[in-house]
Amino acid sequence: MKYDFLDNDLLSRLGSLPIEARVPMMGNVAGKHRSPHRGSSVEFAEYRKYVPGDDTRRLDWKAFARSDRFYIKEFEADTNLRAYFVVDASGSMNFAGKGESKIQYARRIAASLAYLLVNQGDAAGLSICTDKLHLEVPPSRRAAHLERFFSTLGKLEPSGETGLIQALHTISEKIGQRAFVVILSDFFTDLAPLGEALQHLRYRKHDISVFHLMDPLEIGFEFDRPHRFVDLEDGTSIVAEPNLIADEYKTALRDFLAGVRAKCHDASADYQLVTTDTPLEPLLRDFLTARLPKSKH
Amino acid sequence: MLFLSPALLWFLAAASVPIVIHLINRRRHKTIQWAAMQFLLRASRESRGKKKLRNLLILTCRALGIAALALAAARPIVSGLMGWGGGSIDTVVLLLDRSASMEVKPGDGLESRREIVVKKVRDAMADLGSPRLVLIDSASGKPQEIPSPDLLAELSSSAATDSAADFPTLLTRAAEFLTESSGRSEVWLASDMQESNWRPDDERWAAARASLNSLPQRPAIRVLSMTGGTAANSSIHLLGSRRSGDELLLDVEILRAGDSRLSQSTPLTTQLNGTRTTDSITLSGQSLRFQKRVALPAGSASGHGWLSIPADGNPRDNAAFFAYGPSRPAKSLIVAPAGEAADYLALAAAPPGLGNLNTQRVEPGAAADAINPELACVLWAAPFPNGSQAQALQRFLNSGGQVVFFPPGNPDATTFMDLKWSPPADAPAGKFFILTEWNHDDGPMRDGIDGTPVAGSKLKAIRRQVPQGDATPLAKWEDGEPFITRRIADHGTAWFIGSLPDYTWSNLGDADVLLPAIQRIISTGADRFDASYIVSVGSEPSRLLAGETRARLDDYGTPDPANAEFESGVYRLGERLLAVNRPPQEDTLEILTRETLDGVLDGTRYTLLDQAGQADDPTLSRDVWRAFLVAVLFFLLSEALLCLPKKTHVDALPAKSPA
Repeated sequence: MKYDFLDNDLLSRLGSLPIEARVPMMGNVAGKHRSPHRGSSVEFAEYRKYVPGDDTRRLDWKAFARSDRFYIKEFEADTNLRAYFVVDASGSMNFAGKGESKIQYARRIAASLAYLLVNQGDAAGLSICTDKLHLEVPPSRRAAHLERFFSTLGKLEPSGETGLIQALHTISEKIGQRAFVVILSDFFTDLAPLGEALQHLRYRKHDISVFHLMDPLEIGFEFDRPHRFVDLEDGTSIVAEPNLIADEYKTALRDFLAGVRAKCHDASADYQLVTTDTPLEPLLRDFLTARLPKSKH
Repeated sequence: MLFLSPALLWFLAAASVPIVIHLINRRRHKTIQWAAMQFLLRASRESRGKKKLRNLLILTCRALGIAALALAAARPIVSGLMGWGGGSIDTVVLLLDRSASMEVKPGDGLESRREIVVKKVRDAMADLGSPRLVLIDSASGKPQEIPSPDLLAELSSSAATDSAADFPTLLTRAAEFLTESSGRSEVWLASDMQESNWRPDDERWAAARASLNSLPQRPAIRVLSMTGGTAANSSIHLLGSRRSGDELLLDVEILRAGDSRLSQSTPLTTQLNGTRTTDSITLSGQSLRFQKRVALPAGSASGHGWLSIPADGNPRDNAAFFAYGPSRPAKSLIVAPAGEAADYLALAAAPPGLGNLNTQRVEPGAAADAINPELACVLWAAPFPNGSQAQALQRFLNSGGQVVFFPPGNPDATTFMDLKWSPPADAPAGKFFILTEWNHDDGPMRDGIDGTPVAGSKLKAIRRQVPQGDATPLAKWEDGEPFITRRIADHGTAWFIGSLPDYTWSNLGDADVLLPAIQRIISTGADRFDASYIVSVGSEPSRLLAGETRARLDDYGTPDPANAEFESGVYRLGERLLAVNRPPQEDTLEILTRETLDGVLDGTRYTLLDQAGQADDPTLSRDVWRAFLVAVLFFLLSEALLCLPKKTHVDALPAKSPA
């Protein structure tokens, strides 16, 4: 492959793991995911009493013979899944401590999951947001669509302040049917609006997964001398002695991380705090495995 | 503070090394592009106060530690005289207390306080690089430039004397001297802090302080206090001396300092005109007062001698000198109408067989002619005089005579010295005026020299007249009205006694009160004739008059001719024979308190050096490099403690929620 954020070996090893939706999906074609609608699939769902107007062909005559009552036999309807990858492209995503930057890591996650989804017949779309830009690649299940997806990801150059909140509200309003929304960001924004945006997604009954990306240096904050810190988003700078302020910094960061986790929890989002030195394969394997229905474990 | 190796003080500059390193480190910062800026700004805001202070303390400890090490290496010595604020001094004015009390020794076998402080000053001057030293000694009161501190102990102007000291005068002299001196100066007051020498109530202190404070460059004042324990010491001095015929009556007091709980027998040597006799006396308690009767050779017109006790902690207070002149009777005059009162007064004034006393009675109208300067006392039992009589009596009083006024017996509105008699008052039927309160230490009813009280409680009166006006009451009736009052008039004293020695008035004539009171007053009046033979060192009569020369007559001790003016002894000054004794206040034990010293030196920012009096600390300067090494240790330990990492490690990752 020509994109360095795609790892063939990784994709082939993860290929056996399906990406499952945690909530019933509403698709326009048949697929492997549950639908909130009852259909005529092979998988039995439930009995319900007959009401006038029901199709008499769906009456369960054997149940009538046993109980002398009319019952309709319902089956699960299977449909396809549409996934939206929302990637934060603010300047702060460009930060790289000793390894790769947060945006590079986000590329690898988004590309790998999109590949797996399209490969299992689901649709994958991309939404890139900054304060000035909101780029969208609509979801599609065609294999050719992946090229556009990867190309957009590859050309992504983070800058400016984050536009994540606005992007999430836009997606919530725009997507008519239930979808799988994967958010990749460092969430360096105000927590209250973030909570409202996640609640908006939840209100629309989307399946939300959050990858909270942090650099190990941002968490450890280990420096051996004074530094001039220049803000990646607005360019302001401050000279500080890290040893003197480490405790206060870590306390503030811990409060922030706990706040993001709480907001995600309130929105029933699947939250993952990920440092960019985490190997991708176990991360994705654990992520996918956790989403499998209990019976398939 | 001085340094034995001042060259090493250059290493003090090394104290700036930690600060320089800190500043360089601050400039050597790296630039990093940072994403989590919001937490950095918040952390920077929150850590501004406490952390910066801690960092500053660490830096200060490092700098001070290095500075203390450099100071220790320079071998500092601190002079107790200079204290920590010392520096280069141009002039030191030493006010040296040479009073007799400075000769007391801090312990057996040690030198006197004066000798100790002189040596300490000498050593301290050497430590200070021998600035100009000016001595103002308490005896002469004259500034004297000392060419070398080593000579200080050898000079006669720093030797022992029997004089008292007058510190208000000394400090004024120092201020006067410093007005003509330039540069940084200090005034050192070396004293045993005897209160009588400092005279804290003297009004001249204010002027002395003002003089010092008005100097262009205010001198530092350092008080070298020579207090503390002393060797066992007793002192002897004369309270009074009176010739009575062929006897000399010497009122003597011996004071004991230190442990006076045990009785002690001590020899008392009496030397009279070259003949010595020794008696033994027993001392119990802190003081012993007694009357020593010295039999004079028959027909002796004048003579001299001394009383002495054995040598002890202070060799200057073991002798009391006396001299006497020709015998002269103690004459008194009774101004009263003939009668019982006049008779009793005559008996009290000249009891038969009691010494060389005689008295004469005149009628009140003839008093003016009878009053003359040869009288010791006038007993006036008549209405207050007026006109020429009053003038004659006032002159007699002013010249040192004693006058005792008794009630006139009738209402009398005449005043004398602004005092008058109340109308006669009788005691209630069946009752008496009783004497309940009188001064046991002062006045004619004081206790005897051996402590025996006057039998004042035996006095009963049925009639009285109360002296009214501004006078000091010395005895009071039961109802608080005065019985005896006193009014000082120049050199003499007027006494007012509120009842008559008459059976229609009181039992005053029974001699329990009247006899001792009248005899004491006559004795006081007669003392002025004998007192001219006994004076104090430094008093006006002890000084040479024009044309006089001084010759010492007694053989006590080892006189210092250079200090004859300030030494006690028997002297002939021209035609005058004088027994010169140290001032009585030199035997008192009262020490100036710190509060009083603060008061007299208020505003001078003086330094009190208590340790100056310690005999076991022979110097006033100490090597203090060890203290600086301790300081180094302290600063390094403090720095280490401040640098210790906090026990609680803050983790940026939040705890996983149980869910």
